[in-house]
Amino acid sequence: MKSIQVSFILNGNDVAVSSAPNRTLLDVLRNELGLPGTKDACSGEGECGACTVIMDGAAVNSCLVFIGQVGGRSVETIEGLATNGEYHPLQRTFVEAGAVQCGYCTPGMIMASKALLDEKSTPSDAEIREGLSGNLCRCTGYVKIVDAVRLAAEELARD
Amino acid sequence: MTEKTITLGKSELRKDAWEKVTGAAHYVADIPHDEVLYGAIVRSTIHHGRLLSVNVSAANQVPGVIEVITSGDIPGDKAFGALIHDQPPLVVDLVRHLGEPIALVIAETNLAAHKAASLVEIEYKQVEPVHDAVGAVSSEASRLYAEGNLISHYEIKDGDVGNGFSDADIIVEESFSVPLVSPAYMETENAVARWNADETLTVWVSSQHPFIDQLEIAATLGIEPEKIQVKSAIVGGAFGGKEDASIAILASLGAWIVKGTVKLVNTRQESFWAHPKRHPAQFQLKLGAKSDGTIVALKAKANVDTGAFASYGPAVGIILTETLAGSYRVPNVDLETIVAYTNGPLAGAVRGFGSPQSHFAIESMIDILAAKIDMDPIEVRRKNILRVGDKMFTGVVVNETANSLPESLKRAAEVLQQFDAIEPASGKVAGSGMALVMQSMGLGAKVPDDSTQGLEWLPDGSVRVHLGSPDLGQGLTMTAEQITAETLELPYEKIQTLDIDTWESPNGNVTCASRMTYMVGNALVDAAEQLKAQMLTQAARLLNQPQEDLSYKNGEVIITGGERIAVREIVSRAADDGIELKSEATFSFPYPEETTPQHLPIGMPHVLFCFGAQIARVEVDPELGTVEVTHLTAVHDVGRVISRQGVEGQIEGGASMGLGYALFEEMALKENGQWVDSFTEYLLPTTKDMPPKFENIILEIPEESGPFGAKGIGEVTVPPTAPAIANAIYNASGIRVRSLPITPEKLITS
Repeated sequence: MKSIQVSFILNGNDVAVSSAPNRTLLDVLRNELGLPGTKDACSGEGECGACTVIMDGAAVNSCLVFIGQVGGRSVETIEGLATNGEYHPLQRTFVEAGAVQCGYCTPGMIMASKALLDEKSTPSDAEIREGLSGNLCRCTGYVKIVDAVRLAAEELARD
Repeated sequence: MTEKTITLGKSELRKDAWEKVTGAAHYVADIPHDEVLYGAIVRSTIHHGRLLSVNVSAANQVPGVIEVITSGDIPGDKAFGALIHDQPPLVVDLVRHLGEPIALVIAETNLAAHKAASLVEIEYKQVEPVHDAVGAVSSEASRLYAEGNLISHYEIKDGDVGNGFSDADIIVEESFSVPLVSPAYMETENAVARWNADETLTVWVSSQHPFIDQLEIAATLGIEPEKIQVKSAIVGGAFGGKEDASIAILASLGAWIVKGTVKLVNTRQESFWAHPKRHPAQFQLKLGAKSDGTIVALKAKANVDTGAFASYGPAVGIILTETLAGSYRVPNVDLETIVAYTNGPLAGAVRGFGSPQSHFAIESMIDILAAKIDMDPIEVRRKNILRVGDKMFTGVVVNETANSLPESLKRAAEVLQQFDAIEPASGKVAGSGMALVMQSMGLGAKVPDDSTQGLEWLPDGSVRVHLGSPDLGQGLTMTAEQITAETLELPYEKIQTLDIDTWESPNGNVTCASRMTYMVGNALVDAAEQLKAQMLTQAARLLNQPQEDLSYKNGEVIITGGERIAVREIVSRAADDGIELKSEATFSFPYPEETTPQHLPIGMPHVLFCFGAQIARVEVDPELGTVEVTHLTAVHDVGRVISRQGVEGQIEGGASMGLGYALFEEMALKENGQWVDSFTEYLLPTTKDMPPKFENIILEIPEESGPFGAKGIGEVTVPPTAPAIANAIYNASGIRVRSLPITPEKLITS
């Protein structure tokens, strides 16, 4: 298959990749760009949310985005969340609230949470649960994940 | 608890969590390797039948394909298995389940491997499959194995069940069934194996038992185990399902044959097909009671389907049998369990290990009895719970920790009262219900169970844990570090843990059976005490002081009546002399002969238990049959809290697994002959399904033999959820559903 050239912004930096057009953003992130933080738990079916990244401000399943669709857009992954060595409040509250167990859903869960808080800075618990309902976690029962997002929202609102 | 601790009982932050929240954590599939090759597994498309031919020529033509491996290429054992060697890494002649591995393609790219796998041509002679345990053991059933389909048959009798039923004022007879469900950890099974020029293999695998993987890989390759180095990377959840060596064996076989590095990652569909599931089971129960609620007799029959391979099925059957009477004293029992092979996906170890199945039956049964005799279900339970010193039907005498049962009931009664005061939403009916739970710890009598753990004091004064058993994500590392810190009187921050490497680490045995805090903790307390003794010996030598004048406290050596010396000074000076401060200790799970009945099968009885209760409030839509669990309160006794947040996390996660079991999860065989094998059809609980009001009540009734009095929490959190919800649904709607999951269809048609 003929390769295509795709340029986009990844975690604030310009990147250009040469890729077969049928590859997914998830595949390119993990296997071309050396960013394995974004996970795959349902083998590209869009069922689990583990591969959630933020594209132009919206949470998307990167396993359902072809690389050709990414041209000219801005993509944020878990690796780009900390700035200047400072954890994002969500990263800190996930650790502090005990929202991380095996951690496999964590990158997607945090990115989905960030998209949620970017859109609505002080969500209710019901809105947090609604906003994260596309992200599966098998370890935590979600209790401490909802706690972590609430704590981060409170912290961001104070700043 | 007023006693001052350094770290025990606190919610320390998990050190591994930081790299997990930044994406820096490397799971097996994330570890970079040079010149990695990719494996793809060719799997059977039928449930049962003979292989007539496997044609790999088209597959071999795909550019980039290095090798297509079939069972004839296996140099060593052609079958492996936890308890019975019945599981072929690649089918030899008989296909026993859909999705069974037949060939392994190794190629330069993942795409080429999968393309070639789709081109392997297989001819079968199909055999009628069997899909239920009862059918499987009938004389007409087609056999999966020459010896027949029955693997285990357990019968336990105690007292005289005939007399018991004659004495009963009321007899209740019911049938229950529970489905095949998946552990459904988020990280599918995966492994990377690297062939090394010195004819050894290095294998990275997401596994609960790297030391068993090492043995099984070696047996398959027909080489010495010493040549296999297994490294356990970060594990993305396991819940029992990663007590299976198949993925490690196949990656290793590929690497060994092509003399390269092979990466193998199961798709979610493959994970559904070919990794251990929770056993489906059917139950018939007959319970006799006096009119005051006292249970006098229980007769029970359980039929358990272990699928195509035994895996841990015979052992699951044991715990399932041991929990048939739940947490209750029943003077007369007649219990029978069969475990049978079928053409289903293999069922094996999954969190709870037989106990969630039995608890759904017995805890539903208790509420059915209560309704029949018009008694409060709490009162029926109070009359019948095991009390300290009671001898169970296995012959085991329950220790002081059974005091948590009446306490759990007391708490449950209070919670139920609060729940019952809440008005339902408009159009809904509300109800509440509860269930008790008893979950054993340990592998059972006559199963050798030793766990070795190591410690090392470093010259900078910090301590390194040489953990011998993998952390599955539940936080074993944090627990180990907290116990080490407490024993060595050091801050939690001063302790680090090394990843497991079977060439370097002590053999801590498999991570399973609710016994990690107990086993690892006990071994580390012992190792830490040894380390302190070494510290004083070295201090005496280096400071030229009699050892009896020295003592150790909070990271310092104290000379009686005077000077305090920081331990790092001692360790670094000892290191200068070439002396390392290292210790190792082994803890063996205790089964004292005088109190452990010896006539029962291997793996029976279990002698130590975790107890608890869960209480659910539901709102049911009587028109639609939908159920919302609005409140869940979990009461669990952990003996002693090591990490509060860790304990809560285990409870919340276990209860969510139990909630999925209650309402959603079923790996059904569809009408088209295919299994439910994706998250589109196999519904896991989401954020919206977990009750908005979740509360933990943690009891601390010390287990004398545990580290600081602690015992397990991993599994006990699952079994009570489904019956508590089922009982709440009955309380709300008057409808008793006897099979899981409790779907709207079942509620409407019942």
